[in-house]
Amino acid sequence: MHVINMEHDVFKANDKLAEKNITKLDKYQVFSVNVMGAIGSGKTTLIEEAIKHLKDKYKIAVIAGDVVAEMDASRFRKLGVPTIPVNTGKECHLDAKLVEKALDKIDLNNTDLLIIENVGNLICPVDFKLGEHLRIVIVSVTEGDDIILKHPMIFKTSELAVINKVDVAHAVDVNADKMRDDILSLNPDIPVILTSKHDLESLKAWISFIELGLRRTREAQRK
Amino acid sequence: MHEFSIACEIFEQVQATALAHGATEVKHVTLQMGRLTHTNPEQLSFCFKALAEGSISENADFIVEMVPPSLECACGYMGPVDEKQIRENSELKSELLVYVAAMECPVCGKQAHMTGGRELIIKSIEIETEKDLAADSK
Ligand SMILES: [Zn+2]
Repeated sequence: MHVINMEHDVFKANDKLAEKNITKLDKYQVFSVNVMGAIGSGKTTLIEEAIKHLKDKYKIAVIAGDVVAEMDASRFRKLGVPTIPVNTGKECHLDAKLVEKALDKIDLNNTDLLIIENVGNLICPVDFKLGEHLRIVIVSVTEGDDIILKHPMIFKTSELAVINKVDVAHAVDVNADKMRDDILSLNPDIPVILTSKHDLESLKAWISFIELGLRRTREAQRK
Repeated sequence: MHEFSIACEIFEQVQATALAHGATEVKHVTLQMGRLTHTNPEQLSFCFKALAEGSISENADFIVEMVPPSLECACGYMGPVDEKQIRENSELKSELLVYVAAMECPVCGKQAHMTGGRELIIKSIEIETEKDLAADSK
C-alpha cells in the first residue's frame, strides 16, 4: 500500500476560478454583485427596483440562477436588460465555473453592472465565491427573527445585509431591529439596510448602495 | 445539499491521482474539513460511495478529519478559536453559531480575521498497485 499526499483544496479550486472571473470583470470595468438569500426573501423584486432606477444611467446585465425554471430571468428581460439564466438542476448554489460560462454569453464591453442572483438558499452559496465585488445577503422579516442566528456564516461572510419586507414586520410579529442587532453581533462592520417595496425612501437607500459600490470599484479599476 | 457536486470533484481528483500512480484499488481517502464549511461528512461519504460504484475507489474508506477554526488578529495573535469561550457559550444550540460567536481574539477581545476552518482538503489517498499484489502473493 502507498500513501499519496494530494493536498487538494476543493473550495480553493473554486476560489481560484472566482479570482479569474474578477480579473476578467476588472479588465472590462464591470462591477459585479452576488445577491444571496432564501426563496421568498424578495431578491428578485429588489433587483428589479435597482434595474429600473439604474438602467438609464448604466448598462446592466443579469445572471439569474435558478434550480430549474426561468421565471426570474423573464422578469428581468421584461425590463430590457440582457439576462442569462443559469439552471443549476439539482444544485443549490451557483459556483465560479457556472459564472465563468455565463460570462462568455455577456457583452462585457457593454456592461457596467453585473447582477448575479444566486439560487434561493442561505447555506450553500456561502462556500462558493463567484467572482463578485460585493456579496449581498437579503432576508425578509417573514422568515422569522431567528433566521439570522440559524445561518451565521452567510452574515459573517457578506459585505451588505438587507432586511426586506419590514412593512409587514408587525403582522408577522417580528422585530426588524432585533434582526439588525443579530446581524451586527455576528459581523459588526457590515452595513445593514431595512427595505420595503412600498417605501420608496428605503428602496433609494438600497439602490444608492449599489451605485456607490459601482463608482468606487470603477475608480479602483481605472488605476 | 451541495455534497453531490463536491463529491464529484473529490471523486474525479482521487481517480486521476490514483490511476496516475498505477493504482488497482483505492483503500482510503482522507479529507480535512473545516468546521465552518456547510458540508456534512456523512452525506459527502454517501455521495462519494454512490459515484465510486464500479470503480477502483468502490471500497475506499472515507475518512474525514474535522479542522477547528483559527484566527489572526491585528494585535498579533494567531491561533485556534478560544475553546473556553465556546464552552461558556454552550447554551447556543448550533455548533456553527458557537464557533462564529467565538471569533473574538482571546488576547485583546476584538473581532479577529478567520484564517482557517473553511477548508475542504483531499489530504491523501492510500492505494494498492499491481506491484503490491505481486509482492503480497510471494
Ligand atoms: Zn487581538
